[in-house]
Amino acid sequence: MSTEDVDVSTGFSCPSCGAPLGAGDRFCERCGARVEDPDPHPSGGDGQRIELDLAIAAAVSDQGLVHHRNEDSFHLEVTEDRNVAVVICDGISSASAGNVAARDAAKAAGVVLGEAVADPSKDASQAIADAIQAAVEAVIQVEWTTRVKRVDPSCTLVSAVCRGSEITVGWVGDSRAYWFDGEEARQLTVDDSFAEEGIAKGLLTPEQAAKSPFLHSITNWVGPDAPERPRRTVSLRPERPGRLVLCTDGLWNYAPSAGELGGLIDALPDGAAPAAVARALADTANDRGGHDNITVAVVDIDP
Amino acid sequence: MSTFTTECYQNEYLPLGGSEVNAIVTVTSDGTAGETSAPDAAEIVIIDTSGSMGAPRRKLEAAREATRVAIDCVRDGVAFGVIAGTEVARAVYPDDGTLITASPEMRAEAKRALRRLKAEGGTAIGSWLTLAGQMFATAPGRSCHAILLTDGENQHETAEHLDQVLAQLEGRFQCDCRGVGTDWKVSELRRVASALLGSVDIIAEPEDMAADFRALMQRAMGKSTGNVSLRLWTPQGASIAFVRQVAPTIEELTGRGVHVNPQAADYPTATWGRESRDYHVCINVRPGQDGDEMLAGRVSLIEGDETRAQALVKAIWTEDQQLSTHINREVAHYTGQAELADCIQEGLEARKDGDVATATFKLGRAVKLAAESGNDGTMKLLQAVVDVEDAATGTIRLRHDITTVDEMSLDTRSTITVRVGPSAT
Repeated sequence: MSTEDVDVSTGFSCPSCGAPLGAGDRFCERCGARVEDPDPHPSGGDGQRIELDLAIAAAVSDQGLVHHRNEDSFHLEVTEDRNVAVVICDGISSASAGNVAARDAAKAAGVVLGEAVADPSKDASQAIADAIQAAVEAVIQVEWTTRVKRVDPSCTLVSAVCRGSEITVGWVGDSRAYWFDGEEARQLTVDDSFAEEGIAKGLLTPEQAAKSPFLHSITNWVGPDAPERPRRTVSLRPERPGRLVLCTDGLWNYAPSAGELGGLIDALPDGAAPAAVARALADTANDRGGHDNITVAVVDIDP
Repeated sequence: MSTFTTECYQNEYLPLGGSEVNAIVTVTSDGTAGETSAPDAAEIVIIDTSGSMGAPRRKLEAAREATRVAIDCVRDGVAFGVIAGTEVARAVYPDDGTLITASPEMRAEAKRALRRLKAEGGTAIGSWLTLAGQMFATAPGRSCHAILLTDGENQHETAEHLDQVLAQLEGRFQCDCRGVGTDWKVSELRRVASALLGSVDIIAEPEDMAADFRALMQRAMGKSTGNVSLRLWTPQGASIAFVRQVAPTIEELTGRGVHVNPQAADYPTATWGRESRDYHVCINVRPGQDGDEMLAGRVSLIEGDETRAQALVKAIWTEDQQLSTHINREVAHYTGQAELADCIQEGLEARKDGDVATATFKLGRAVKLAAESGNDGTMKLLQAVVDVEDAATGTIRLRHDITTVDEMSLDTRSTITVRVGPSAT
């Protein structure tokens, strides 16, 4: 089994000035920048990018061009049987320690899903629900300083368990999962957002929703103060080979519909490896402004 | 060893582009080491014995009595000495330029030696301090404190010489300065006291000297922790606008920092008993982006090589003006107290120069600030110098019948501050 926890850290150095950090530093001793993590966990610098290429699955997390820190995190794992567990979290930027929340949530959920992909007897939907619960508990543990007008550490989460031809996706918030198989481009998730709720209730057209100032106002998240809402899962059994794509809004902002995102993938050479696809999508988001952190995972499915 | 605690008061929110970070740091020492460590102290009393001390005669007699009282307060084991100052300095006891260890016999002998004091000659404060420095040097490793009494101006040496002496002695010992009568110069004695981290005050009547000396010596004996520095760390690219003690009195420390590395400077705080002091630090940092949080400064109390306590000064940038425009109550209060002291000193200076308009404006402003902050002590001293018509607006009239004692009392005590009270704004 090749397995790896990846959070978007580059080593023990300050995210702002690059000075080395000591264990337990809360602030950089050179420039004074806040280090969110008691276990130094910087994630910045110009154009910082983390890539993990596990052949049939790959993930890229990119800081983007505007934010001075990457608050996204992911966990990706592939078993010898080519089962895949993947989690992507997006730290909520108005929260304290959003990057730590995302990292700890991805890690905790990843552990649970890792067990599920290794043990076929486990129910995938239950595993996803357990993983989300583990993420919530991990985020509650995140330490942070009291700040007026800042909400508790929190993040979004999208995850998938791929076993044989069965794909199970679960999510909280507005990080998304898509299915592309050459004939079909389909968004599997429905954002927990005011915009989506407006559409569901017939109050907004999808076009209006896309322009709504509340497009990014999410209605559910992973965190201590998360509302009591159902955490949703969806399963599919594709018949044709295709690609599962999970991403944060740093990518889908630049390709809001499944069709647009699928178009970007179709423009790539036939047979592009998951790592190449993930890289290209992150590059496109940066080309179009890179306004947010971008994290994308691509899994090749061959039923 | 004493336990130090700190509290930090600030509004850490800055507007986008904002760079000035202000904080009040309260440092409290529980003084628990008091009884045990006093023998590590060294004490010298420096008495002015210039000719003017004999006119009236009772002045020298009162100084002698005050010194006796001070000697009685010196605890066994403390290294001790007495200096008589004229245009030269003379070691009265012991007379060999060293210090002697306090004991009942030694105290009796020292008091006998005071009988030989005569009032004749001039005033050269720098030479007195130089001798004190030499005597303290014979008792290394002790926390050194002196009381200096004078009744006149430093006539027999230049101001430059005194400055040189002070520069050499800074950090070697602490010196509380007292001026008796009204023929001494407030600014001169304040300079000495500031450089040597001591207090300055006026003793209007010779009879009050003994009580004052007793209080000073008892306080010195209660100081348990010596050689404490306030260390200020600032991030790279930041600059320190000022560092000052703001309570119980205002003491400018900005120029007195000694860098221990490019990002940290130590400011002297001398000795600590059971007490609490407030410091105002103002740091200019590089502005951050919305939501950025930065450590703008770290204030540490350093004793020897050890950090006894620390406080963090932070900056968080926000677009929310409701957060960033709010001025912290403690910062506002002490900014006002510092301005109050400046207004008094500038107002009295203008008054001396005959500039009635400036004096009226400055002292009026002082009255307003004293009233607003509830600084009743300073208000009382101001009322001896001005007639207050409306304290809220600072409308005053200069009084014509003021005494030199009132004027000098106001001047010397202008730096005494009050803390933020529930009624203060």
